[in-house]
Amino acid sequence: MVGLACALGGAVHAQPGPAPAPAPAKEPAAKQAAPKAPKAPKAGKGPKIDLAPTVAAVNGANVEAAVKAAELLGATGDPAAHDALLDALAMGLPPTVAIVAVNSLIAHPAPPDVVALKRYAGHHNPMVRSAALASLAMYPDPVAKKAVIAGLHDTAGAVRAAAAAAAAKGRVREAIEPLFELLARGEDSAAKALAAMADADLARKIGEHLGKVPDAILAQTLGMVLKRSDFGPDPARVELVRAIGKIQDSQAIAALTDYLDATPKNPPRPSRQEAQKMVEARMGGGGK
Amino acid sequence: MSRLLSIALLGAFGLVACGPKSMFRLTSEDNDRTAISAALAKRKLPEQPAPLNVARTPRMFVVQNGAPRTIVAYDLATSSVMWKMDADVKSRVWVGGDFILTLEGKQLVARDQKTGTPRWKIGVSGQFIGASADRDRAYATWREGTDAKPTWILAGLEASSGKELWRAPSEGELGAPSAHGGIVFSPFLRQWLYLVDGATGQQLARLRGIDEQISTVRVTSRTTYFGSRQGVFALDARAASGKRTDATYGQAKIPPQLDRTSYGIDLYDQVQTGYTAADRARVLWSSVPSESGPMKFTGDTYAVHYFRYMFGFDLNGELVWAYSNPRVELVASEHTGSAIIGISSTGEIVVLDPKTGALREKKSLGLGQPVLGATFDADGWVPQGDEEKVTTVAALVSIARDRDARFDRVKELAVASLAKLPGGEVTKELLAVLSDKRAPQKLKDTVVEMLAKRKDPASLPVLADQLAIHSDFLAKTEAESLSAVAKAIASLGGAKLDAKVVGPALVALQSHLDDPATQTPDLIMVIRAMAAIGAGAERGPLASHLLLYHADDDVGGDGAWQTAIVTALDTHGGPGEHELLRQVAADPRTKPGLATAIKDALVND
Repeated sequence: MVGLACALGGAVHAQPGPAPAPAPAKEPAAKQAAPKAPKAPKAGKGPKIDLAPTVAAVNGANVEAAVKAAELLGATGDPAAHDALLDALAMGLPPTVAIVAVNSLIAHPAPPDVVALKRYAGHHNPMVRSAALASLAMYPDPVAKKAVIAGLHDTAGAVRAAAAAAAAKGRVREAIEPLFELLARGEDSAAKALAAMADADLARKIGEHLGKVPDAILAQTLGMVLKRSDFGPDPARVELVRAIGKIQDSQAIAALTDYLDATPKNPPRPSRQEAQKMVEARMGGGGK
Repeated sequence: MSRLLSIALLGAFGLVACGPKSMFRLTSEDNDRTAISAALAKRKLPEQPAPLNVARTPRMFVVQNGAPRTIVAYDLATSSVMWKMDADVKSRVWVGGDFILTLEGKQLVARDQKTGTPRWKIGVSGQFIGASADRDRAYATWREGTDAKPTWILAGLEASSGKELWRAPSEGELGAPSAHGGIVFSPFLRQWLYLVDGATGQQLARLRGIDEQISTVRVTSRTTYFGSRQGVFALDARAASGKRTDATYGQAKIPPQLDRTSYGIDLYDQVQTGYTAADRARVLWSSVPSESGPMKFTGDTYAVHYFRYMFGFDLNGELVWAYSNPRVELVASEHTGSAIIGISSTGEIVVLDPKTGALREKKSLGLGQPVLGATFDADGWVPQGDEEKVTTVAALVSIARDRDARFDRVKELAVASLAKLPGGEVTKELLAVLSDKRAPQKLKDTVVEMLAKRKDPASLPVLADQLAIHSDFLAKTEAESLSAVAKAIASLGGAKLDAKVVGPALVALQSHLDDPATQTPDLIMVIRAMAAIGAGAERGPLASHLLLYHADDDVGGDGAWQTAIVTALDTHGGPGEHELLRQVAADPRTKPGLATAIKDALVND
């Protein structure tokens, strides 16, 4: 079957046209122009496996054995094992096995993976799509980013959530606008993604969405940003606290209270003091 | 039931036979060609089709709703209101030479046609059946007596005074009379039509319908037509046969969606003595004299007025033109021989070319109250001036997208007619129906069927454009038309297609093949469409698709999908695709149904 996959590689990702495209599974890594593209896996990393029976198992009818074999192929650093995963994906795997296979690819990500992952990001099974999107987050390739953004438009909520998580993980800036659209529709996954991606500028931009997205989810989003230990400097946190203070929903108080709970009183931090004042003003006294 | 009816009829006939002298009887000479020809020769007819009124001016008499109702006399030639008179009108208006006739309350009233002033009034005793008029006389039919022993009476009245000139009793049912050139036509027992001398009340001839009932009579200035809902005979010498095959018989092919259409007023239906909804569903035609064969419709065309719409048809029943009146119904219509006139419930006059449907004239009477109905005296009239552009496509689109649920079947006719017209614009309009959330499902089904039947290569770019719509959560769009569009593209298999157009269409189809939101039934249509137009370029994407789902329970396990993908790759594929199919069939993970489908397809390979 591996041999057939190579032979039919042209058919696997073909665009309409008179001649089939070259086999993506065998496309040399050097053809991928992205500067931060992962390099092809090097031999010697990970456990050693007996490749032939493992490859046979991943392409076999026993799903349980195929899942285990896919895990093994991903764990080993042998480029041939990686190629075997790509070949197996090219030939088509049952959803249960495909999910493990796309996860296994990212143990040793290589540029040719993107085409295979993109194909599975359009699979009819939402769990397969979600897994493929999660894996695509590891690739800086524009094709991967485009696929992640497309996932934000998916009709299945679970897939949109996976795409949002992938966008955050891959820091896909182009995903910010669609994430705001999802935020406006009240999607928690968008709140988490935006909060994870936010720098001071993005945090300000999120704050400017007051009135454009539901108050509660806006407060939650800003609260999640505020709680991030890597977010700062403190003037940016002060600005964030003030943005939360403008939100009338009770979630705003909850976000500020969470921030107070999570932050030591000393050394004194202006953002904490600002948050405390706001909580006291809203709740009529009491302090932390 | 039929026995009882026969007994009742025999009883009635017995009374007729044994009663006082009456021309309305069972036994009399029917269909006497000589008598009929002589009667027809007595008619005083104009040389050319012309209005009946003595001024020979095209006129229209409108009855407006209100308390009281109003009669409006309108001169079509000068587009001016001649007069308006309040009147308790209970009937339609019958037009004579210098007068009009109406039932007002319980009185038959003749009014001066020029001024609207009442000339005479006569009380109607019994049950009013109907009236008519010709140049010099008025005619009325009513029923007297009891249910056990009813008597119908046809009477001739002097137009100038209302003086009764004669009366003819009948113990069998009479329908409402019609008059034409000095002869009164009186339907009798639904089977006969009496030709009576309007001056004396004497029978001139009698026609018996052998092939069908006689329940409707339409008179123009030169021709009388009679018949039923099934068709119409021209009253000429050949009518003596009483048979469709030997007479000048005409039958319009009426689409089943316009099933309420009739050729004229049902003269036995008392309700139709007044203006009713039945006036809004009419076959409109004129004919040229013929010595042999069936009736020859003028211009080889006829039209159907159906509420808000007018449709023109050729002799094969194919729709030639359509007119959709904006917003309101046309309540009355007439074929003048050279034009089709209609009037809307808001008092707008619409004049169409019977051959092309082109709008010849559209004018508002400026009436405040709704129009109940109208009688036209405009035979031969055609308005001067330029015709507007024919708007059949726009009219059909307007009908198809009409919100009025009463006309769902007419919409199906519009869609079916629209689909027969070539071109991408028409396809675009049909697709718009599919996108219309308020359009009835049955109509959408018709559109889907018609899109596939069109097989119009010129529509491929439009169909491909429609494929740009995907189901998208953020954009709030759904690829609702995908199946229909793909089906329409699949129907183009074998057609000569422009390669420049095929490429983008194939790319658009593949975008749906690869879209997880595409449901399996739609996938099947997409596969068929790609195979139909791909000319080989589709093989790669379809092979990839097969591999991706050959071991998948949902898509791969679908029997219809299995057949579609195997057929596409087997029929349109080469040795490479056949080898791929063999390998997939041999793969132990392949869904059993798919493996079987492949083996069946490749059995002779």
